[in-house]
Amino acid sequence: MRGKSKFFIGVLLIVGAVGYLIYTGIRETSTYYLTLEEFLPKREALANEGVRIAGRVQAGSVRWDPKDLRLSFVLGPFKEGVGDQTAGVPVHYQGILPDMFAEGRDVIVEGRYNAGSALSAKTIMTSCPSKYEPEKSGQPSAVSRQQNKEK
Amino acid sequence: MTHLGTLALYLAFVLALYAIATSLWGALQRRHVWVASGTHAAYAVFGCVGVAVAALLHALVTRDFNVEYVAAYSSSTLPVRYTIAALWGGQKGSLLFWAFILTFFSTIVQVQNREKNRELMPYVTVTLMTIALFFLGLLCFITPPFERLAFTPREGSDLNPLLQNYWMTIHPPSLYLGYVSAAVPFAFAMAALATGKLGDVWIRTTRRWALLSWFFLSVGNMLGGRWAYEVLGWGGYWAWDPVENAAIMPWFTASAYLHSVMIQEKKNMLKVWNMVLVILTFALTIFGTFLTRSGVISSVHSFTQSGLGPYFMAFLILVIGVSLGLLFYRLPELKSENELDSLLSREAAFLLNNWVLVGLAFATFWGTVFPVLSEWVRGVKITVGPPFFNKVNGPLGVLLLFLTGVGPVIAWRRASAKSLRRNFSVPLLSGFGAGVLFFALGYHNYYAVVVFSLAGFVLGTIVSEFYRGTRARQAMLHESSVQALSRLVGKNPRRYGGYVVHIGVVLICLGVAGSSFFKIEKQMSLKPGDSLEAGRYTLKYTGMKNGEDAHIASQAAEVEVFIGGQYITTLRPEKRLYKRQNQPTTEVAIRPTLRDDLYVVLGSYDEPSGLATLQVFVNPLLSWLWIGGLTLVLGTCIVMAPNPAERRALALAGAPAEIPGEVVAD
Repeated sequence: MRGKSKFFIGVLLIVGAVGYLIYTGIRETSTYYLTLEEFLPKREALANEGVRIAGRVQAGSVRWDPKDLRLSFVLGPFKEGVGDQTAGVPVHYQGILPDMFAEGRDVIVEGRYNAGSALSAKTIMTSCPSKYEPEKSGQPSAVSRQQNKEK
Repeated sequence: MTHLGTLALYLAFVLALYAIATSLWGALQRRHVWVASGTHAAYAVFGCVGVAVAALLHALVTRDFNVEYVAAYSSSTLPVRYTIAALWGGQKGSLLFWAFILTFFSTIVQVQNREKNRELMPYVTVTLMTIALFFLGLLCFITPPFERLAFTPREGSDLNPLLQNYWMTIHPPSLYLGYVSAAVPFAFAMAALATGKLGDVWIRTTRRWALLSWFFLSVGNMLGGRWAYEVLGWGGYWAWDPVENAAIMPWFTASAYLHSVMIQEKKNMLKVWNMVLVILTFALTIFGTFLTRSGVISSVHSFTQSGLGPYFMAFLILVIGVSLGLLFYRLPELKSENELDSLLSREAAFLLNNWVLVGLAFATFWGTVFPVLSEWVRGVKITVGPPFFNKVNGPLGVLLLFLTGVGPVIAWRRASAKSLRRNFSVPLLSGFGAGVLFFALGYHNYYAVVVFSLAGFVLGTIVSEFYRGTRARQAMLHESSVQALSRLVGKNPRRYGGYVVHIGVVLICLGVAGSSFFKIEKQMSLKPGDSLEAGRYTLKYTGMKNGEDAHIASQAAEVEVFIGGQYITTLRPEKRLYKRQNQPTTEVAIRPTLRDDLYVVLGSYDEPSGLATLQVFVNPLLSWLWIGGLTLVLGTCIVMAPNPAERRALALAGAPAEIPGEVVAD
């Protein structure tokens, strides 16, 4: 029995430690992950929270200043012809552009939304096409399909 | 050729079904002819899959763009080595490649055991062929790799440029080898549960397979990290992306298994736990494949919904259901023969090591699936990023590093105060010394200093182990020190190879700590002639150079590097345009040294203004990560080396385990 009880104390300690780490880790680092369509109606409620938003770079909206590395663009919805096409959130970013960043690309923007104005992005991720399945358009990473269309 | 390929896949599917049925029937009826027939069918499955692979390779190399897969993943200007790599560059090809390795391994297992393990083998065949059947079913009915297009495009859309890198040509196969070889211990575990032959035989038979799996998983993860470091251009090597997590989780559980299995061999404990670890490792390899193909978790790699998710999920549920069912059925027979005597013992240290490793796997799993869980439970998708994994896995990793030092030298059963003093005074001293040394060298961060001290502690235990073993041989057998050292390792490769692996782990920890806590990052837009400072380096941008060939057009920034006014070298970070896909990519320039890596990225180049944006990283100690990886590989090779004593033990199956060389080493 003595061996058993020691065994259980050990298990409890480890499980407790892992549980505690996971709990605090999630509490401190979690970020809302939304598509732009989901984000638009809730944006004021989510102001100043860490958010991660997936959307598409609206055509004609990109301004890039190569000297100060300042980028601004409008993040629009994925699906073409669905909902309000003009809806979008302005995004400001300072830093290096990801290689695949371009108008019409699907991107994930991580940052904070400033109430009533724009999203300050900490990171911009372009969906990187691992090309396991590039066929469905309207989804992030349908990049190769789009390129085929562009050609 | 592609018709032949399709035909071969259908044939393989039917043969796999036949192999399962006959092996099962033969085992139940105890009719060896049926079992033998099943084995032969399994060989034939491998042959058929081999034909299919050859057919797909043929289509790729002959650039048959009418085949959808060839058109999607290669082009006429793609170099041959990458054309071959395109075999696993896409979903369909990778599934075929998977089936190929699995049936290849199954064939090796059958040949290895043709005179042995008569009772286990039919069930091993059943298990392996069931897994093969799943993949073949996908290839025959869901995603046929030889599908043709209605028209023949003049040109293919090329392999993703990011995958056109030599690390990437070997990284996926290595990971697949690791994933798939985990199926062999799993198959033997299932066979042991099904037959009730729960002794050490299945464990000893699959020890090398488990090691091999761990070996390839390690190599695959290292290569993946190296690829990310060289290609992705964000200055790091590991981002806790779901795809990376998918590859590291089975590594954690496989590492746990390799340790706990020693306890079963030595003390006949942890039998159930070992079964669980084998099942878990295999399930995680399937889960990993599921993750990367289902689109359930959005990743930067983002594999979108491919329709395969539900099939993998169903298969995963089948695997877990059947194996846990069998485990519960045999639970009464898997009773431990010994109990834990003391918390200050090697058993306890190994147990703790196991829980920490499983804890790491669990935390990683939790963080990876958290978005899905939160969506189910609370209706909002919440993600956790790298900070979560660093916060949770960091401390667990530190604890694990500590145990790496304790486990191998603490006494079995119960350590006395005297033995603790004897075994740990030198390591503690060297740990303290390492901490002080690194602090004095300017590495001022408490977390990092703890890691460095622990690294010194672990190295201290390992060096004193080698020293003591060598001295004992010298004293007893009058050998020279070199002779004594090499025989020490040769007599017990498992133990001393394991120590070499641990040295590798320590070096990896050094690299990780150095590059995470002391990284310097700078970015700036420069005109030709401008310079910037990063750490001890001064970088001067002198101009842009253009290059072009049939496949790629490039722009390279010429960057002169100075340390303290002294010219060192010129780096040329590039932007490349892969013409076929019209996709720009970044080629980073790296100058590695043992002290730090200088890592330069050409962020952008604005032609009208002549401004080049450079992003510069200084990553201290990062080279040690790769050196540690190589050391770990070397150590694993030593552990896997043929060992006559072990073969004898296996021949005397059932006899208590004898760890050769133990007497000399202690």
